[in-house]
Amino acid sequence: MALGLAVIFCVVSGFLLVSLCWPRGPLGPTSRKGGEKWGAPDPLLKASLTVPFGLGVFSVVFFLAQIAGIRKLLAVDLVTLAGLLAALMLRRGRAGPFGAGPQGLKPSSIDLAGGSTKAAPFPGSNFAPNRGAKATKNNPAWLEPVVSAGFFVSVGAALYSAVLRMLAHPHGNGWDAFAIWNLHARFLFLGAGLGGEHWRDGYSTLIAWSHPDYPLLLPGAIAHFWSCLGRNDPAVPAIIGFLFAFSTVGLLCVTLSMLRGRRCALLAGMALLSTPTFIDLGTWQYADVPLSFFFLATVAFLCLHDERVRTDSRSAGFLALGGLSAGFAAWTKNEGLLFLCAIVFAVVWRMRVERRREGSAEGGVHSLVPLLLAMVPMVVVIVYFKRFVAPPGDLFSDPSTMLHKVLDPARYWAVIQWYASELFRFGHWLVVPGTLLLAGVYVAMGKTGERLRHGAGFRASMAALALTLAGYFAIYLLTPLDIYWHLRFSLDRLFLQVWPSAIFLVFLSIDSGNLCLSTTSQQRQSLPFANERATKCT
Amino acid sequence: MDGSLSPDSLPPRTIIAALIFVACCLLSSARLVMETPALNHPGGDHIAQRSDERFGALKAELPQSGVVGYIGETGSPAVGDYYLAQYALAPLVVDHSANHGLVVGNFSAGPPAVATQGLRLVKDYGSGVALFTNPAFADSAATKDAR
Repeated sequence: MALGLAVIFCVVSGFLLVSLCWPRGPLGPTSRKGGEKWGAPDPLLKASLTVPFGLGVFSVVFFLAQIAGIRKLLAVDLVTLAGLLAALMLRRGRAGPFGAGPQGLKPSSIDLAGGSTKAAPFPGSNFAPNRGAKATKNNPAWLEPVVSAGFFVSVGAALYSAVLRMLAHPHGNGWDAFAIWNLHARFLFLGAGLGGEHWRDGYSTLIAWSHPDYPLLLPGAIAHFWSCLGRNDPAVPAIIGFLFAFSTVGLLCVTLSMLRGRRCALLAGMALLSTPTFIDLGTWQYADVPLSFFFLATVAFLCLHDERVRTDSRSAGFLALGGLSAGFAAWTKNEGLLFLCAIVFAVVWRMRVERRREGSAEGGVHSLVPLLLAMVPMVVVIVYFKRFVAPPGDLFSDPSTMLHKVLDPARYWAVIQWYASELFRFGHWLVVPGTLLLAGVYVAMGKTGERLRHGAGFRASMAALALTLAGYFAIYLLTPLDIYWHLRFSLDRLFLQVWPSAIFLVFLSIDSGNLCLSTTSQQRQSLPFANERATKCT
Repeated sequence: MDGSLSPDSLPPRTIIAALIFVACCLLSSARLVMETPALNHPGGDHIAQRSDERFGALKAELPQSGVVGYIGETGSPAVGDYYLAQYALAPLVVDHSANHGLVVGNFSAGPPAVATQGLRLVKDYGSGVALFTNPAFADSAATKDAR
């Protein structure tokens, strides 16, 4: 009973949090004339966000309840839920800080998009078969079913493999699961059960090998469910890992279907589902797949915001959701903190560049307020955790040793060699490395037809991922551990963290007039953002 | 409006690239399926056996919180044994050191002679799990604050 309530609270909390930031106005170039309405919520997009965001809320609630010494978690859940609901109702009552404001989409943008003022199908409908597609010599009718069949076979294979791996390894399959994440969850759950401050016992320097400085999104969420369940059932972290893995696939597919159409979404989803390491780590109960989800969510929302800007809609909801995602990334793993800093730097930098280039006041740093504001709550929680709960991390040694390492060319060469070789080994693909395959797709499909003009969000996302990888490079240079050991046991996981975002950005870069839109003009107009781009870029 | 290409046409190289892409993805999915462990495969999950089941009896007799010491075998696999001991005994903190009032012994074939470390066997739980006391640290037993 208590577990059922906890599941409901978790899902509803995630849904309410997403809804709270969801942009007003329709997602696509369509509007009810003169009327303001709530954003056409793509059920699939919201569904793919709801569970991970709910788990983020759950972990924070658990952590704050322990700090406050509150033992009745379900009561805290109820209060949280009521608070989110009240905030949502308040926002419905008036345009909130993240709302589009009364203007919504301007009718002119609809006209530019093709003159249609009829409500277009919601983005999720792009998953519907292209019934109206005309079969031509250069657009064979069999292509659509082949891509669809390939996708669904990949889904089936991934589901089969993930479920069997979960059943075969209910405690996870690797040291990090029981030596870090589930151990932290046990300390939180069992320590909290003892009362007092015993939930802090795991943050001891005596067990520094368990990385007690790692943030608490996963352990906190697991401990929350265990507390409701009354025992530390290994099924909880296993199911959470599974949900994160398939939520990542869902988010990738749904967002790309909105921006580039069904085929593109299916191909991108296939690329992720067919990455054996992704499914492996998703079921190993490591934090890398959850982190990859929040990286992807941040990047996806920045790119969705780009499209909103193109349609002259001033909504900042996507920016707020991007900020929340980056905050949750930082609450998942220390690498997420690096990503958060990278995204802030990259977004500010790109906004300034765009502003200078276009000579307009729009796109100034002030427009980033929703992004930064949405990050603040998580940053505050993380700072408190790092300052008052966790011991110092083990990655940095004394300055003279670090300087010595930074000046050692052999370390640079070692990291470069590993980065280069991992590019081809990464993912454990059969025959053709996934990275090569993605590069091949980009070369084959990406450079003909209409030119895409990427927005600041897209460029900032590229820059942030590059900065994050550069940050990882610097950490390898400075690591107090044996550099080869460190590279061997972590580099593939670090690459995996950015892999869904990389797939997303590559498919977003593919020419929209080529493969990655529905195949008829009518269907092109049904894409929420595609017509706008096609109009403005030609 | 659509640039050089009609929206209804795809260049042949795009079709070929899409087919190659699908084929490569399916190959990789096949690997995923082939490497999926069977439910009753011999190399199955031993984490519960090596942690919760192995240390269950000992945990019931230890204090609920604080710090205990740990001695075990040396070598790389033994590191995993230590981590699993900590996993089983949480929220007790298990310090890999004999310098504590209570010391957990974890050996694959029964507790060795540990007289050289000044430890005294309290109880042998079988399967190589044992509890020792260290008279030199008797005052600091496991009630000491983990932090």
